Amino acid sequence: MFRAALRLSVSGARSLTRSRPQYTASVAARSYSHGKQETDEEFDARWVTYFSKPDIDAWELRKGMNTLIGYDLVPEPKILEAALRACRRLNDLASAIRILEAVKDKSGPHKEIYPYVLQELQPTLNELGIPTPEELGIDKA
Amino acid sequence: MAHQAHAYHMVDPSPWPLTGAIAALLMTSGLAVWFHFHSTTLMTLGLILLLLTMHQWWRDIIREGTFQGHHTPPVQKGLRYGMILFITSEVFFFLGFFWAFYHSSLAPTPELGGCWPPTGITPLDPFEVPLLNTAVLLASGVTVTWTHHSIMEGERKQAIQSLTLTILLGLYFTALQAMEYYEAPFTIADGVYGSTFFVATGFHGLHVIIGSTFLAVCLLRQIQYHFTSEHHFGFEAAAWYWHFVDVVWLFLYVSIYWWGS
Repeated sequence: MFRAALRLSVSGARSLTRSRPQYTASVAARSYSHGKQETDEEFDARWVTYFSKPDIDAWELRKGMNTLIGYDLVPEPKILEAALRACRRLNDLASAIRILEAVKDKSGPHKEIYPYVLQELQPTLNELGIPTPEELGIDKA
Repeated sequence: MAHQAHAYHMVDPSPWPLTGAIAALLMTSGLAVWFHFHSTTLMTLGLILLLLTMHQWWRDIIREGTFQGHHTPPVQKGLRYGMILFITSEVFFFLGFFWAFYHSSLAPTPELGGCWPPTGITPLDPFEVPLLNTAVLLASGVTVTWTHHSIMEGERKQAIQSLTLTILLGLYFTALQAMEYYEAPFTIADGVYGSTFFVATGFHGLHVIIGSTFLAVCLLRQIQYHFTSEHHFGFEAAAWYWHFVDVVWLFLYVSIYWWGS
């Protein structure tokens, strides 16, 4: 947390009340010249709703994840939690672990994002019994 | 001397539909024989018969139209409908392969790594040879249009030159694509990526070869004064087919090469 706070002040963060890195802000980075711009909250809510569909099917899960990972952002933990629960409903452990790998990949050079996300998701990972790639030893391929 | 009281073409009996059907039979059963008994004789026989059928059937159509005058305006209208319907059927043929591609790539399965391109696949850079290929085909679309206008304006030499250029561009595309196939870091056996890539682009390449051949026949006919400025449907059909091939490439390029990378 300390390191995060230090980094926040160095990068001139907007708000120091947030105890998380600023780079996970899920801005729908479309610079349209006009038209209503979706807020971060609306974006997150939309995706949480998408993955929370009770009867989501395997195709929709895969499509949703590919579309989400295609954006220029790291998804908020609340979106990822909804996706992991969708994996549970679909009995797809492989995709659940793959989602964690995708988060690490999307973080790119910002190495502090992945541990933060895992930290936020820990209760869900425990509840659903999802191991991390690190725990399985498959993170160093 | 008996004359017909209508403008339509009642074709004379011809053996070519029969030889064509026999060729189809020999090629298909020949394929099975090749798979099971390692002999290509039957299939090769079928292929030769197919080539002979095509040559003689289309030669007869040229005789009937260009030399015997059977291709009156209503007959030509029928031929136009025919070519349009054929090209439409080919569009549906390719639609199937695009369906297969999008089926696999929009929601990639865990077996592929949940991502597209799949894990382990290094796709071709869309801005290298594939982009050149796009430019080549687009240019050939321009040159074939130049040919059409030359024919309509009675410019014999320009028609021959631009048609030759069109064919050369078609051959250039084929050569570049063949080289790409040889150099590609993945094969048709590399999962659904390899399958969709090579089947879709492979059938497209086959159509480029067919289209180039059709244009080459038109070139020979143009040199031999078959076409007039008012009547040159054989060429128009070839040009339509060529544009179709070009459009299919554009869809392939955008979908498989560019988006799919």
